[in-house]
Amino acid sequence: MENRPVQLEQHPVRNFYLRNNKVFNTLLMVIIVFVGGELIIGLKTGTWGTFLSVTQIFITIRLAAFIMLFGLCQQLVICVGNAGLDLSVGYIATLAGIITGHIMNSSNAGIPLALITAMAVGAFFGLGNGFFTSYLGLPSLVVTMAMANIVQGIVNAYTKAVPIDGYGSPAIVWLSSNFVGPFPCIILVIIAAVVIMTILFGKTRTGIKLLGIGANETTAYLSGVRVKKIRMMAFMVSGIVAGLTGVLLVGSLGRASMDMGSNYVMPSIVAVVVGGVAIGGGEANYLSVCLGAIVLQSLTNLFVALGWGDAGKWLGYGAILIIMLTAYIRGKRVR
Amino acid sequence: MNSKRNKALKSLTGRSEASTLLILIIMIIIVACLQKGFFKWSTMDGYLNAFFPLIILAMGQGIVIIAGGLDMSCGTAMAMVLCVMTKIMNPNVSSSGVTALLVGLGVALLTGIVNGIVVGYLRLPPVIATYATSYVWLGIALFVTPTPGGQMTSWFKGFYDLRKIGFNASSKQVMPTALIWLLIACIIWAVVRRTKTGRYIYAVGSHNDNSYASGINTAKIQLRAYLLNSIFIYIVAVFNAAQNGSGSAHMGDTLTLQVIAAAIVGGIAMTGGKGNVYAAIAGALIMSFVSKIIYFAGITSAYQTLVSGLIIIAAIASSILYSVRQKKALLKGVSE
Repeated sequence: MENRPVQLEQHPVRNFYLRNNKVFNTLLMVIIVFVGGELIIGLKTGTWGTFLSVTQIFITIRLAAFIMLFGLCQQLVICVGNAGLDLSVGYIATLAGIITGHIMNSSNAGIPLALITAMAVGAFFGLGNGFFTSYLGLPSLVVTMAMANIVQGIVNAYTKAVPIDGYGSPAIVWLSSNFVGPFPCIILVIIAAVVIMTILFGKTRTGIKLLGIGANETTAYLSGVRVKKIRMMAFMVSGIVAGLTGVLLVGSLGRASMDMGSNYVMPSIVAVVVGGVAIGGGEANYLSVCLGAIVLQSLTNLFVALGWGDAGKWLGYGAILIIMLTAYIRGKRVR
Repeated sequence: MNSKRNKALKSLTGRSEASTLLILIIMIIIVACLQKGFFKWSTMDGYLNAFFPLIILAMGQGIVIIAGGLDMSCGTAMAMVLCVMTKIMNPNVSSSGVTALLVGLGVALLTGIVNGIVVGYLRLPPVIATYATSYVWLGIALFVTPTPGGQMTSWFKGFYDLRKIGFNASSKQVMPTALIWLLIACIIWAVVRRTKTGRYIYAVGSHNDNSYASGINTAKIQLRAYLLNSIFIYIVAVFNAAQNGSGSAHMGDTLTLQVIAAAIVGGIAMTGGKGNVYAAIAGALIMSFVSKIIYFAGITSAYQTLVSGLIIIAAIASSILYSVRQKKALLKGVSE
């Protein structure tokens, strides 16, 4: 066996690729899906340039934006390790959306109060998730699933199953559903999120602590990081982001509905895995997660265009998740 | 003498099954007080039919948890098998019921094999892996029955109620068909528990690496645990198909969490290797009686999801706290 010392090559392009290989891999997947989709649709219908066009790409990004935002929640919870996942994000978003829909009531005046309320709602349930998983050591999937039940129960009780009359403010509606030229306005939110997450994980002490806990809990604990507290905080921030996303969801749909967030939970997890981020923790790459969300959304568009609808979507998501997990995080062979 | 009695008392109360049984007895007393004629056969039969899916699925879930896994897909897997069976059956062709039974068994075993391979051989974390497969089952079920529906042959009803196909049809005596199914499930586990596989399931669940080191094929044992679980899923699917005569892909969505909670309430440790599968029956009964009590308390259906979610979280948390206390007591005994 060769035992050469590892030599860092002084090759700028190659080094740049190696430093960002996750982003490039996911970008490659985006290109494959778009080109493949174009080929399939083109061969099937005979009309070319519908799937792979500038308009279609930006529409896909606008639709994928919510998967990206929920993916941010998952990224935060996943990076602290301990098999963390948050299944309650979509439900928290629904509850926050329904409450803030009433507060906003189609006027811009209510926006500050609406945002604060959404954050409070998210923080409350996120804190609950964090407490049960971090301090009591319960598996996060079971806890957040139960929390999702509770939140959905509150939604049912709050709305009493009658149509909801909460409408978004014009500013929120503009931000979440309008286009300026070909660009969807919600891209501003996504750019802000990517910048914040990149700075958080690249430059700040908090980011290092989060990643450190995920990489090696014991080492982090021995170096003086309050592991349990920070894990709980990760769940809380995840809840807060979910609450704010709920406000944007109301804007995007025009009015709140009882199950607007629940369908985003599974895609948000798959987006993180497709982005190549280790689901065992200790890693974060939000830009890659966003690209993963685009992959999923364009796959969904393809399924809809082929007439497979929901069945194909869920089957595809499940299969992708298993394949990606197998590729990235197979457990070590027992010796 | 006194110390001996204390020891006997301790060995009784120290078992997690004892506390589960105590809670169950309290629940039964409460429900019996709230409802007149609780101890009549017809009432009991009604309850058994309503609680049956949860009981059997909790037993299967219990086996998987003891083997160190978890099955987040049992609800949707059940719905998928149900959809496939009701799709195949044709009321005009009575032999289609046999085809449905066989194909259903095949599909059910396939879910067990896939889960077992993914968790055992591919070594993915069981929680997230079975969460992924649950969406595969949902997708397949939606392909089979995009909208709720389906049919069944007339003799198939017997799997739900034997009286429907002529057994004891004239007599007033109720023949609790669900009880027969429950007995079959218990016998399956009783037999398996006494084989090498049964012992290995406990060994693999408590110490995976050590079991491997002592020559147990851990992946195979986990696969077998998931296979056993899939047989229990199949039983529930057959029962539900006979009861409803139709299937819906989303039928099992809310069931999974209740099943996991029931197994945990039954004293089966989430960490694996500890617990009694029969106690999962008691756990499932407790969960079901709680929802009955909520119903008797007059809480409207809008609040029922909320209350059941709260109860599930409380149940899971309390069982974990209990095991933590036990561990502390054990450590205290060592230091003394």
